[in-house]
Amino acid sequence: MKRDFQVLGGRAPRVDAGDKVTGQALYAADLKRPGMLFGALAHSPVAHARIVGVNADRARSLPGVKAVLLGADVPQVRFGVSPARYDETVLALDRVRYAGDEVAAVAAVDPDTALAAAGLVEVEYEELPAVLDASAALLPGAPQIHDMYPGNICAEVHQEFGDVAQARAQAEVVRRDVFTSKMQSGAFLEPQCALAEFDHAGRLTLWSATQTPHYVQRTLAMVLGLPEHRVRVVMPRVGGGFGPKASASSMEIATCLLARATGKPVKTLFSREQVFLHGRGRHQFRHEMETGIRRDGTLVFLEHRAILDGGAFASFGIATVYYAGSLLAGPYRLPNMKYDGWRVVTNKPACGAQRGHGAVHARALFEQQLDLLAEEIGMDPFELRLKNVMQAGDVTCNELNMSSLGMRECLEAVRSDCGWDEKRRQGRRPGRGIGMACGFFVSGAGYPIYRSRTPHCTVRVRLDENGGGVQVLSGAAEIGQGSDTMLATITAEALGIPLDHVTVRSGDTDLALDLGAYSSRTTLMTGSAAKEAAESVLRQIQEALARATGEPAGDFSFVRGLLHLRGLPHCVEAIRAEFQKERRGYSGLPAEGPLTFREASRFAFLERGLITGAGQYRPPPLGGGFKGAAVGTSPAYGCSAQVAEVEVDLETGQVKVLRITGAHDCGQAVNRTQVEGQMHGSMSMGLGEALTEQVLFDARGRILNPNFSDYKIPTALDAPELRALIVDSHEPNGPFGAKEVGEGGIMPTIPAVLNAIRDATGAVIDELPATPERVLAAIRKLGRHGPAR
Amino acid sequence: MRLPMFEYAEAKSAAEACGMLADAGPDAALIAGGTDLLVRMKRGLERPARVVSIRRLRGGLPAVARDGARLALHPLATMAELAADPLLEHACGNVAAGARAVGSPLVRNLATLGGNLASARPCADTAPPLLSWDARVRLQSASGEHSVPLDDFFTGPGASALRRDELLTAVEIELPAGSSGSAFLKLGQRAALEIAIASAAVRLTLDRPGGTILAARVALGSVAPVPLRARAAEDLLLGRVPNEDLIREAGEAAAREARPIDDLRASAAYRREMVAVLVRRALTAALERAGGGR
Ligand SMILES: Cc1cc2nc3c(=O)[nH]c(=O)nc-3n(C[C@H](O)[C@H](O)[C@H](O)COP(=O)(O)OP(=O)(O)OC[C@H]3O[C@@H](n4cnc5c(N)ncnc54)[C@H](O)[C@@H]3O)c2cc1C
Repeated sequence: MKRDFQVLGGRAPRVDAGDKVTGQALYAADLKRPGMLFGALAHSPVAHARIVGVNADRARSLPGVKAVLLGADVPQVRFGVSPARYDETVLALDRVRYAGDEVAAVAAVDPDTALAAAGLVEVEYEELPAVLDASAALLPGAPQIHDMYPGNICAEVHQEFGDVAQARAQAEVVRRDVFTSKMQSGAFLEPQCALAEFDHAGRLTLWSATQTPHYVQRTLAMVLGLPEHRVRVVMPRVGGGFGPKASASSMEIATCLLARATGKPVKTLFSREQVFLHGRGRHQFRHEMETGIRRDGTLVFLEHRAILDGGAFASFGIATVYYAGSLLAGPYRLPNMKYDGWRVVTNKPACGAQRGHGAVHARALFEQQLDLLAEEIGMDPFELRLKNVMQAGDVTCNELNMSSLGMRECLEAVRSDCGWDEKRRQGRRPGRGIGMACGFFVSGAGYPIYRSRTPHCTVRVRLDENGGGVQVLSGAAEIGQGSDTMLATITAEALGIPLDHVTVRSGDTDLALDLGAYSSRTTLMTGSAAKEAAESVLRQIQEALARATGEPAGDFSFVRGLLHLRGLPHCVEAIRAEFQKERRGYSGLPAEGPLTFREASRFAFLERGLITGAGQYRPPPLGGGFKGAAVGTSPAYGCSAQVAEVEVDLETGQVKVLRITGAHDCGQAVNRTQVEGQMHGSMSMGLGEALTEQVLFDARGRILNPNFSDYKIPTALDAPELRALIVDSHEPNGPFGAKEVGEGGIMPTIPAVLNAIRDATGAVIDELPATPERVLAAIRKLGRHGPAR
Repeated sequence: MRLPMFEYAEAKSAAEACGMLADAGPDAALIAGGTDLLVRMKRGLERPARVVSIRRLRGGLPAVARDGARLALHPLATMAELAADPLLEHACGNVAAGARAVGSPLVRNLATLGGNLASARPCADTAPPLLSWDARVRLQSASGEHSVPLDDFFTGPGASALRRDELLTAVEIELPAGSSGSAFLKLGQRAALEIAIASAAVRLTLDRPGGTILAARVALGSVAPVPLRARAAEDLLLGRVPNEDLIREAGEAAAREARPIDDLRASAAYRREMVAVLVRRALTAALERAGGGR
């Protein structure tokens, strides 16, 4: 369904680009308030202990210290992400559960004093045996970390769709594989930072580097015992999130409590080390999959067991463990799927949601298995996938509805762009490999994290009374992904005006409701609400013009900011004359030609008064009736295919990724450059997770590499040539046909790289990241038996 | 992770710097590029009350000067300068390669040669190449000056023959007669900003192109408490006409001499194996550069 758009689908620069590249944009750490104090946290140095005694006398008596809060000084209200798993408190009271757990919060006149005071808080610990990995946590008799999680099991899932036992009998080729990974960090550029201030009416404002202002507002209201309307959460510019900033943190709440205790604004800024301690990034996974196909390549069943090491708190973990299973039901027709998942707590930093939430490592194993199975039956990996891909209108075995799905188109796009068939025909060269994989992701979680029938967002579009300007007021979270530009583009498109007429204000709970930047929801959901609001504004302008001219309202529309009239433009003269009379002394006023949006919108205001349009979005009823059906449901699904080409040093195990060719179906690209940016970002992030990124711990549960020297994200020199091919389908549930591109693009990267490594070496990589040492060990394992193929 | 308070002074001459160090006692530290010192201070590993900058001591002096067979490298030469120095590239190519392997362009613009050696990390990327040329370092204090072979300079991780009141004032190389070729290889997980998992620098001097080995040096990084000379490997090569087998054996000999540890970057076993690969590859490249026969 091709449509001609005016601004949509173009390559306009982002609306925030100028401010960001010149340093004019303000991030939380840049903000200052009069009389502001600085906050700091004291963290537990041990992984698991009872707190026997706390003495803050030395900290309190340090000159410049204004407040020291201990566990007993803060509200004992539990919070977290899922209400059924509220397991965090602001500060530890009698027990610490990981090396990094917060035990005290300090406010002082400058950051150095605050940090020094935090270091002076004396805590006496009685160490308890720590549980540092999931298998140990599940052993009978393992130390118990939370009373509410007997056996250290925080959540478990047991689902079966179709009949796996029966399907197994029909499968002709079956593989069973195990795949493990390490905890990974979002590695966003901007460390968390929060600035809290109470005004004299007792209303709290928190400026925070968050990706979910609404959830932070609710958590603050709940823990501080304030009604929501007395809590305002504002996002300054935010330097990335990728998931770990998608929930309220102890640091944010403690900063508010310090502001309340001192009567002064307080700002707390994390160091990179604290970013690692706070965690909430990618879980550590262990996947075991048994997958069966027929000799003709038809996918028959998947039996899947997953164990997620989640660290000390639940965070997003329930959703994670569900996603890890449910998102394997597409993009291939898979009639029989059984999934058992356990999300386990351990004495390590909590894991949460990270780009491609829960589904990335499961996908990494599944797509490797598909390659191995294809090889066993002598089929090209593309052919195996093409044989099984779903298409628009299909419904997965777990009732996910593919309202649009350009999976086949993505496969075809990358296959021809990278020259797959020729390269495979040329045969194998040792050390050179090519591999492919697909992926699939939600375009917005179907349900909020708390049970409610709330709309997921509201948007107001407001006409400037003077005419010409349009303001979008939204709560959406611009974290660098480009949602402000998306909102401006959709609003401009709906009104028929150039992008520069539109100003976006967002990320402020005073402006509107928005669940935030997670689950790749903003374009589809907030974009839909913005479109609805803009269309309402357009209708009001049309009605004003219609009343004045007697022409039908539907005859008026704008194209690039100029009025298009189906009939004769006899009304233009009077409106223009009035507009000019109001602006005696101005220059550059429209004088001839069609009526401008500026004139028309001023006229509409004069006729009708303030013109605003309201929009909101609430997903249609989604999903099945089984337990956990809510997780994985979405109004739409994006999908992608990628091909990776690699060079492997067979003697050192070093992998160089030469090129990744990716295609993504985002429905309709709102801004092509931004879509490509998200695809490049996903591929780069996937590259790091595939090859180098891992949070490492010592034997006592302390992080060994909480910095970017030793936690290795790829550098510019490691970046391969990235090719981003946009596949436009049309998503009926999205604004102008648009859906996600934020996260889905990471799905195929890891398996495409691993499949390419196997093509180059014959070795199956069964643990992430594929460091040189692991790759070499895998090559060695082949020994004299030769490649696994 | 914040820089603690300290007093800052700038020396205008080597003598003044030595004087300042002598006056301030153990609480003073020299700073050149600051890429090591400031990181250590931020991490609380070092807390000097007084920081003495020597950046001005360079004056207009070149990064590398050659006087006959004698090459002098200025300790304040930055890695960026050394990486791009034609004289160095021509005479001791693996030293330039070592400088190129340091950090990133930002780091190389600040990081100095003197700082790299004085910090005495087993992974310092200019150390193995300089060891391969029998470099000497000149050390100066208020009480005088002396010269030490680099081979005797490193005494442990972060420890060296440099006393707290001393300044490293020159790195000197006496270029050997004959036909020399060198190479430096560094193994890491990514292409830049890497602390070496293992590195190898070699130099071969032949009596004539295609001839016998007059001198062989094999130096290793990140596989021992200090940048390490692999003497058994060197002895194996000495006086022989090199061929593939000999080169492989030398790599294996070097691997046996390495004393690696397990750490977060790699296991000791992997490191040891990689020494054999790196040394073999480096020797092959150096031999070609020395005009060795195929
Ligand atoms: C991000 C990053 C990446 C890095 N990557 C690498 C790498 O890949 N390879 C590598 O080898 N190193 C690396 N380093 C370490 C560092 O950059 C180098 O060791 C550098 O050469 C140090 O030089 P500097 O001038 O900055 O030393 P400084 O920090 O100024 O000094 C370091 C130490 O040497 C002493 N010192 C300096 N000059 C003299 C002198 N003339 N006489 C006596 N003492 C002196 C100082 O007192 C101090 O103790 C990296 C550092 C960073 C921050």
